[in-house]
Amino acid sequence: MAKLVLSTGGRIVHQRFLEQARVTVGREAGNDIVVEDPAVSRAHAAITAVGNDYILEDLHSVNGTIVNGTTVQRRILQHGDVIALGAFHLRYVDSKSASDIELERTMLISELALSAVLARPDGLPVDPDDLRVPSARTPRTHFPNGYMTWVTGPRAGQARELDRVVATFGAPGEGVAVVTRRPRGYFVTHVEGRVHPRVNGQSIGTETRELHEGDVLEAGPDKLQFHRR
Amino acid sequence: MASEFIEVAVATDVGNVRQYNEDSIAVDVENGILALADGMGGHRAGEVASRMATERVVAELASPATGMRADADPRGTMLAVERSINRANEAIFAAARADAKYGGMGTTLALAVFRGGRVTWAHVGDSRIYRVRGPRLRLLTRDDSLLRDQVEQGVISAEEASQSHNRSLVTRALGIGEMVVPHLADDAAVPGDIYVLCSDGLNDLVEDTDIELVVGALRANLPLAAELLVQAAKDNGGFDNVSVILARVREPEVAERRGWFARFVAWVTGRAG
Repeated sequence: MAKLVLSTGGRIVHQRFLEQARVTVGREAGNDIVVEDPAVSRAHAAITAVGNDYILEDLHSVNGTIVNGTTVQRRILQHGDVIALGAFHLRYVDSKSASDIELERTMLISELALSAVLARPDGLPVDPDDLRVPSARTPRTHFPNGYMTWVTGPRAGQARELDRVVATFGAPGEGVAVVTRRPRGYFVTHVEGRVHPRVNGQSIGTETRELHEGDVLEAGPDKLQFHRR
Repeated sequence: MASEFIEVAVATDVGNVRQYNEDSIAVDVENGILALADGMGGHRAGEVASRMATERVVAELASPATGMRADADPRGTMLAVERSINRANEAIFAAARADAKYGGMGTTLALAVFRGGRVTWAHVGDSRIYRVRGPRLRLLTRDDSLLRDQVEQGVISAEEASQSHNRSLVTRALGIGEMVVPHLADDAAVPGDIYVLCSDGLNDLVEDTDIELVVGALRANLPLAAELLVQAAKDNGGFDNVSVILARVREPEVAERRGWFARFVAWVTGRAG
């Protein structure tokens, strides 16, 4: 379970588990977490539980709500976040932290009626594309950095970056090859066409072949050389 | 896999982290029925729920007694689709109540039915249906998920959503209650269009722009496209089961279905296929 730890000068003065739907922070006595510091507003910020998240929002405090050195209007709290409150620090600690996201299982939750809980800060969203939820790809994944140069033909000398998940070469009907970018390197596979791709003069048939620095790939009319940085 | 109307490829994988694959796929290509489900529940109950959902829906829709006729109007198809989903829901709900080890099991569902030049689709939960038309990918479904609700209600921005821990919380599923209300839609089945049905193990890990790129670049080899989508999800972490169905609407094979005179005319005018 997540908790909040209030400290000042390296000394813990208060801590509490986030067991309520909403926890308020401010200078006034009625708050759940009272921070007696002149830099803190009477009603400074609130933390609301939504599903597995705790969402911090600033309640129009005079000095703003600062998390990890940045002023925020609203933030989904992440394990280790530090909220600056004058001479005090409020640290958010979540034992089931973001690194466990991969182990979370699909669960059912009742549909959301949040409007009563959290006010929408701006007007209605306009473009549905703005509502598109991005993928959760971990920044831990690293991909290699390679490119192809045409060896012959009208594009001889030209280069093409291999900076996407796939890149195709060749011509439909004649022969098309796909080069996939994977964490451990680049690989080539036949897609379609009469002639299968060749690597260094040898047909790869229907197999997938790893590409190495300097390899020459022939796909349909294209003849290319592979390079890695 | 191909019929006169559609060409289909499927791929499913347990991913890199989980012990079991609780996703299920069932297809009846001849009858143009595609179903994909992502199960939930402990002790492998999710696997049971997702398999019940896909197999029952496909079997019911393919059955001459309870399914749809090829000439049926789109509204009839929609009703049959809705009924089949509700029957599957009832069966999963009953099984969950009858056996303690299946208690609380449930599943998402994404379903597409190609009939008489039209496609009808339905979904429950956060399994998605996209369409690639020309070079562009478009999401046809709206996730029943807390995260989506939060973004839509302006509680968090789409950008902030990647910071959320609510990704796996769905707001609607089969097998949880006596009734379920699926989302239904239909449209003309345009030759060349590719429909993508997937579990969140794909779209949580592979950006839409990359799904678009893979399907678009490999439209001539759908089995390879399906395989590479699953591979991309695993290369990006693969922390969930990942499943995908790709279905391309085929060009009508006009020459085969025309009489000799039409074929002669086509030959004379140089348009013979």
